[in-house]
Amino acid sequence: MTLGQDGLWYKDAIIYQVHVRTFRDGSGDGIGDFRGLAEKLDYLQELGITALWLMPFFPSPLRDDGYDIADYRSVHPSYGTLDDFKNFLVAAHERGIRVIVEMVLNHTSDQHPWFQESRSSRDNPRRDWYVWSDTDSLYRGVRIIFLDTETSNWARDPVSKSYYWHRFFSHQPDLNYDNPAVREEMWSVMQFWLEIGVDGFRLDAVPYLVEREGTSCENLPETHVVLKQLRSKLDQNFTGRMLLAEANQWPADLRPYFGDGDEFHMAFHFPLMPRMFMGLKLEDRKPIMDILQQTPAIPDPCQWCLFLRNHDELTLEMVTDMERDYMYDTYAGDKAMRVNLGIRRRLAPLLDNDRRRVELMNGMLMSLPGTPIIYYGDEIGMGDNIHLGDRNGVRTPMQWDGGWNAGFSSADPESLYSPLILNPVYGYPAVNVDAQKRSGHSLLAWMKRIISARKSTQVFGRGSIEFLHPANHRVLAYVRQLKAEAVLVVNNLSSSAQAVELDLRRYKGNILVEMFGRNIFPRIGDLPYLLTMGPYQFFWFRLRRI
Amino acid sequence: MGNLRHIEGFGLDESSVLTDDFLRQLISVGEVDLLVGVPTHNSAKTVGETLQGIRVGLLKYFPRERAVILNPDGGSKDSTREVVAAASINDLQRSSDMYALRTLPCISTVYGGSPATEVALRTVLAAAELLRAKACAIVSPEATNITPDWIERLLRPVYRDNFDLVTPVYRRHKFDGLLLRNLIYPMTRALYGKRVREPYAVEFAFSERFGSHLSEMQVWDHAAGGVGTEMRMTIAAMAGGFRLYQTFLGTKPHLDRSSADLVAAMRQTVGTLFWSLEPNLQYWSINRETESVPTCGAEHDLTTEPVRVNRKRLYQQFGSGVGELEPVLRSILSAPTLAEVQGIAKVAEDDFRYPHELWVKTAYEFASSYHKSVINRDHIIQALAPLYRGKVYTFLLENRDASGEEVEANVEALCLTFERLKPYLLDRWNARE
Repeated sequence: MTLGQDGLWYKDAIIYQVHVRTFRDGSGDGIGDFRGLAEKLDYLQELGITALWLMPFFPSPLRDDGYDIADYRSVHPSYGTLDDFKNFLVAAHERGIRVIVEMVLNHTSDQHPWFQESRSSRDNPRRDWYVWSDTDSLYRGVRIIFLDTETSNWARDPVSKSYYWHRFFSHQPDLNYDNPAVREEMWSVMQFWLEIGVDGFRLDAVPYLVEREGTSCENLPETHVVLKQLRSKLDQNFTGRMLLAEANQWPADLRPYFGDGDEFHMAFHFPLMPRMFMGLKLEDRKPIMDILQQTPAIPDPCQWCLFLRNHDELTLEMVTDMERDYMYDTYAGDKAMRVNLGIRRRLAPLLDNDRRRVELMNGMLMSLPGTPIIYYGDEIGMGDNIHLGDRNGVRTPMQWDGGWNAGFSSADPESLYSPLILNPVYGYPAVNVDAQKRSGHSLLAWMKRIISARKSTQVFGRGSIEFLHPANHRVLAYVRQLKAEAVLVVNNLSSSAQAVELDLRRYKGNILVEMFGRNIFPRIGDLPYLLTMGPYQFFWFRLRRI
Repeated sequence: MGNLRHIEGFGLDESSVLTDDFLRQLISVGEVDLLVGVPTHNSAKTVGETLQGIRVGLLKYFPRERAVILNPDGGSKDSTREVVAAASINDLQRSSDMYALRTLPCISTVYGGSPATEVALRTVLAAAELLRAKACAIVSPEATNITPDWIERLLRPVYRDNFDLVTPVYRRHKFDGLLLRNLIYPMTRALYGKRVREPYAVEFAFSERFGSHLSEMQVWDHAAGGVGTEMRMTIAAMAGGFRLYQTFLGTKPHLDRSSADLVAAMRQTVGTLFWSLEPNLQYWSINRETESVPTCGAEHDLTTEPVRVNRKRLYQQFGSGVGELEPVLRSILSAPTLAEVQGIAKVAEDDFRYPHELWVKTAYEFASSYHKSVINRDHIIQALAPLYRGKVYTFLLENRDASGEEVEANVEALCLTFERLKPYLLDRWNARE
């Protein structure tokens, strides 16, 4: 199997997010690595995913799970070597799986040689690679992102006796993008990985690249200039590669990151995700519709990236206070589940391990406009451990089987990078790949089926969306259309059976073909189309004029 | 609902309340926690303001609860239903003033026949049952003085504190609500043992449990034909042992009533009160201490600013009524009572008083005559009107310069007289003649 040549491959992709450390330990030291990841590529191919998004695997003090990079051109020794990465990349490509790597543009680790040089003296040539000040009064009023740990965006450096700017942890100094040398060096880093063969970058924390007095220091025009320059260089030198923006912003603020199709190919739709959970709990489509109606159109080559869960907390930054309170009360009753402005839980525990709700949420993830991302382990319903610090509770080892260390590593359990999930509900003896492979009715088997259905048509990745507005507000219904192909999606957000009447007169004469069972439903006529739906049920219907 | 005219002699089955269109709307709404009913008939001028108050109240005090606003409409010819439909908050219509976490549907249905309070309430009850609403409130479409906290004050006691019926308490002028204070409240309190200040309310709330009880009981087959629905409901709650609560809703706007309105109001209130005595004999015939009802806010709040009242006309109507209706009154009242009434009718205006005890005996004798149907029951109610005017004349005179507390003390004295003379009603009730 080889990679297709379609430059818009990311629109049809099913992305699987994984941290090398968490997936499979090939060396037996208790930490996942590229050799282990390569061993499991067949599993991922069988699952049906078409792209892997790897979290940072670069040398790092690992004080922020690798987002504090100390060397951009190498692999953290715990995960193997650069050659291990190259071997893995070739193997992935052979299986038709593209690889997207993390690129942390905004900041480095304070252990990075650049910062060490920068702090060493005010005359150092790299002094201006970071944002320094003699006082901590610049950019006053700019919000602090990690409220639980940081009290200021400035940190005093005892070495150079001045303050450096950091939007995240104080051990992550921000690079100075007003310096052309920094911009050139970061492109050089990207070029390094592109030449090895990576298919795209997830660019971390992009709203914060440039600072200006009197602003929020977020989403500034100067930041867009930097990003457009990177995109331009990418297009000039590499074809078929992709840039994905991580910008936790409102849709209207995100829109500029697509530019005129000349900035990012894709961006995460952060505000949609909490509203999907909210809509499900409220049994009301309104929160989902509200945010989708606020979502501006994006240029044709661009795409939203959708996700249910990821390695971070379920972020509640992009919700109102009322919505945040509701989410906390309904999804994080135990305060240990909360971190920063979010909820540190995996998909299955968030949904009370209710298979119907897990399926419905995945059904919406796969059918709303955008490219879906599956967080590792969620395809088998893995649990979390809220008693681990920070967000480590959702970063525990992948559960492959019910045997030694869940099949993750041959090391002694004490040497694993993280404890395994052991509780009776989500523990690896109960929830693992091996067990689910044996059942055609497992969540894993179901995930394979829905991924296959999603991939059976380009309508979900590339089609338009037309929302229906049935009077029953517990039902979210829309038609995805690409040229002559149309798919009707109907989601029952309610815990009880529902009847819904859909105005499908525009599609009069079509019959409905249910995409999983391939059964036909009555032809659409002049009357409202009546459907009855079980609790949390969803339908995907092809509209066929036969 | 008090603004709606009654219809006589209707019989309703569920299908006449639940039209196919209405049923479809209910299916779309689904299960709710809260239901607010706003019965209308040509209410376009005021209902928008009322709905706005309800919407803000629901969003402010119950943002997470599943709620619906339901409008049973008695066949409006104006734009009432359009105004109601525009009040929905959904993915096509937003609330401009407050953020809504979830959809707030406003649905409307037209019931057949003439506008009628009872049909409207039955529609609300049927919908509440189907939607499994845990708490329902009814708000008049004319309640333009509604503030958002009305919704909290009406629904919270039911939804959070498990009360079954919440009736309002209003701030009134001391000369407003005279029928209530001179007859309905004291007599209801004496007979049913609960100190419900507004047993005939246009704004109230009730629980799912009490709603089911109302749906099942036969109060709807009242021979008078659907009048006094609210009154019957309050009596049903008192006699049924349901948990009652009163809630302060601010100032009650004063509505000028004509003489014709008085008879209509008496049919709905006094007629219903008299009618209720038969099915509830077992309950009220037991002598019991009256109980106060838990109340949020002031239980009575009277304003005393000077108003012009034509007392003279009341005196004249009393005198002429006693004279003209003498044969009718003779069939209703006992001889001693009639003699006393005729006696005071001869007193000059300045010295005229209708004493509490005579008034209570009058009311009780009318009630027992109503029970025995000594003459047409509607004529009995009509015959009470001139006597009531005499009592009102006395009330206005005695309380001309009274403070709110003094007026309240006067009402309390009348209540105690009604309670003390309750055995007199039983004697009359059981008497053979």
